[in-house]
Amino acid sequence: MKYTGHSGKEIVERVLPPKEVERKIKGLKRIPVTDRVARECIDLAYGFFTPLQAFMGKGDVDSVCKKMTLMNGTLWPIPIIFDIDDEEIKEKGIKEKDTILLTYHDHALAILEIEEIFNYNKLDLEQAVLGTTDLKHPGVKMYNALKDAFIGGKITLVNIPKFNSPFDKFWYTPLQLREKFANKGWERIVAHQTRNVPHTGHEWLMKGAWFSTNGDLPVEKMKTGILVSCIIGPKRIGDYIDEAILLGQQKLHDAKYFRDDIHMVSFILWDMRYAGPKEAILHAIIRTNLGCTHHMFGRDHAGVGSYYDPYDAHRIFDKIPKESLKIKPIRILEWWYCPICGEVTYSGLCGHLKERQPFSGSMIRSMIQDKVKPTKLIIRPEVFENLMENADKYGFGSPFCTEEYLNRRQPVFELS
Amino acid sequence: MEERCSINIWINEERNEKLANAGLAHLTKDALAGMKILRLHCTKKQKNEILKLYPMAKYDSATTKSIELLPPEVKNKILNLIIKNKNLNVLDEFLK
Repeated sequence: MKYTGHSGKEIVERVLPPKEVERKIKGLKRIPVTDRVARECIDLAYGFFTPLQAFMGKGDVDSVCKKMTLMNGTLWPIPIIFDIDDEEIKEKGIKEKDTILLTYHDHALAILEIEEIFNYNKLDLEQAVLGTTDLKHPGVKMYNALKDAFIGGKITLVNIPKFNSPFDKFWYTPLQLREKFANKGWERIVAHQTRNVPHTGHEWLMKGAWFSTNGDLPVEKMKTGILVSCIIGPKRIGDYIDEAILLGQQKLHDAKYFRDDIHMVSFILWDMRYAGPKEAILHAIIRTNLGCTHHMFGRDHAGVGSYYDPYDAHRIFDKIPKESLKIKPIRILEWWYCPICGEVTYSGLCGHLKERQPFSGSMIRSMIQDKVKPTKLIIRPEVFENLMENADKYGFGSPFCTEEYLNRRQPVFELS
Repeated sequence: MEERCSINIWINEERNEKLANAGLAHLTKDALAGMKILRLHCTKKQKNEILKLYPMAKYDSATTKSIELLPPEVKNKILNLIIKNKNLNVLDEFLK
């Protein structure tokens, strides 16, 4: 069955059948790629970035930076680019029209059919995408670390990644997710993006988003689902470990804080740019390609520090043509604990502004770090217990990334 | 007006007992859904010094306006100073 994604384009998988691989890659120049590029090769090949099937050429990069569209007018906010050293281009004699073999940890990963080799000013990229060139912004650091030149060209995967446990249980390509949604009978699916172990504030964000998404649909048989779409990418010290995030989100499901028929957990591979509103648009595009009909956006989506207003990622959806994006944004204010209401409640409903007690991710992490067990009003006891188990099993004793975790953790996926 | 900044020390049973024994349990505040903290206020200068000393910590400017993710041993050191001095104004001594 054919499925369409962003801008009405078909979701296409560019994965070479195994029996053709040896012949196709024989004699190709081998170029090792970074973790980010490896992830984005997988994303391109499986259609997460539909209609893109290639790393961008200069024309598209320029158009995205200046107009937030591809050259053909398709809404697109963040360039998807392949960087390479000028030295390596010279050393290996790489030219336009070449086909090269991208390798990852010495294994073949994908072939790249080079259409264009070009340069682009990194400061222009930073200013256009992030709205800043401040070296303290993590996205600026990422762009500054890019190599000198860029290659535009189509990607075809030649080696299917094998996801290690527990990631294997939560990995779905866009086509696989579409099939899953069809089997569940879901007509509306709201994406909840997260990089966190869930506290009750998150849980209520999802529940509120479900109500908004379900809208006028009948409720005797559930036709609306929540897709928890975790972001798996580079980690920093102090982040929750990846395994705890996925398994913690799943624990909410298994402990029945969400019914089976309205909730599932998955992940995507993505290196956050922390580009605030523009990244919110890209996340909406990716979840369109996954088959979601709605995407919830809370406070400070894809933001960092105080570079963006907390609700810039809400407002940007009013600035783009409605027909340019199929998925509907569900804009949500924060949930907080109110001692007067006696419950976790929605800031759009509760008027006890002086007494409110906001949830803060950092505050809850501090609590856990201080070895102070949060009450069940803050983190469900099953989720907390699961977090501590995963700290031992995967985190070398800590639920947060440490140097040891970063150096010794099992990889998310491997190539053979 | 200087942006407010605080450091929160979460109170578990062990810390609660230490504070109660020192007659200081009244210093704690209800912070989130019944959980208690000691809240120390800090100046911008103290905040910057602390963040420099402990780069793994971060200032939550978005929600709580507090320094979070200080290592537990740092929190214990501050707590011990509070118990010794019987008040919350201990950050200058802590930073010496």
